[in-house]
Amino acid sequence: MIDSSLSSLGAKVVVAASSDENHPPENIIDGNTSTFWTSTGMFPQEFIIRFAESTQISAVTVDSYNVKQLKIEKNTSPNASQFESVTEQELKRTEGHLQSNTILLNGSNATHLRFIITSGYDHFVSVHRVSVQNVQT
Amino acid sequence: MVKLRARCLLVGDAAVGKSALSHMFHSDGTLFQKNYSMTAGVELLMKCVQIPETSDSVELYIIDSAGKQTLVDACEKMWGEPSLLFLVFDLTSEPSFASCSHWMERVRAHCGDLQLPGVLVGNKSDLSARREVEASVAQHWAQSRGLDYHETSAKEMENCEAPLLGLARTFHALYQDHRDTIQNLGPG
Repeated sequence: MIDSSLSSLGAKVVVAASSDENHPPENIIDGNTSTFWTSTGMFPQEFIIRFAESTQISAVTVDSYNVKQLKIEKNTSPNASQFESVTEQELKRTEGHLQSNTILLNGSNATHLRFIITSGYDHFVSVHRVSVQNVQT
Repeated sequence: MVKLRARCLLVGDAAVGKSALSHMFHSDGTLFQKNYSMTAGVELLMKCVQIPETSDSVELYIIDSAGKQTLVDACEKMWGEPSLLFLVFDLTSEPSFASCSHWMERVRAHCGDLQLPGVLVGNKSDLSARREVEASVAQHWAQSRGLDYHETSAKEMENCEAPLLGLARTFHALYQDHRDTIQNLGPG
């Protein structure tokens, strides 16, 4: 279930490799696909989301544009370090509308999720929303 | 305000003046390397260019790559995925101009899905008596490949800033197009 934005649940973007002050990384977790974070050139690009507490995640949905190779890593530490790889995918190119991809994480526990974009379909890529489906308890 | 980053690949035949130009950029036009020392591998230089009339800037990561054929294979591994092309030939050497198509093909093979904007630079414009390539011919060729054309003299420090500013402006324009595009996208 996606009820509310990640930011309203206390999540934060703690690292982002690029920043345009008009399109800050907070836009990734505000639950709104019309606001976005954009890279400002070169690959790889990455951002890290920190959850308010350790969270069991069944799937994550990424709304983006021009992202080609996407790697996701996670950890269960209070610090943004020592990540383990979760998945690596090649996303399909879209034109005129956003890419929307749901990636299954099989209920793994995480305090941080790290998204690494290793290549794109253009010089610049954007991420409009990341939302998380929690395991129902 | 935004700071963009571009990987800019500096290529062309050996001894056309790629390193002389890149040292000129790096020293803001104060240092011309008088003795020739062939670049055997790649050299990385970083140059930040301010876009006039904006608060934006572009950081160019200039990869100065050896021009000598026997060394190119080894250097190619370091090229990565370039954002911009900086192609140089020697105005006093017709063969160095003729090589430009080969260089372009070679670099394009590294670009994957990305388009590759850039500049063509005829260097050594101070040696006018020995000129072998007419400006109009070079200009025409550049245009047909989607490149902007500039003539420079690293030795006389003439016009060296122009190609850099051109590259930065081009990349900045691409970024603005990208932003406009995604602001008008529908949901996935």
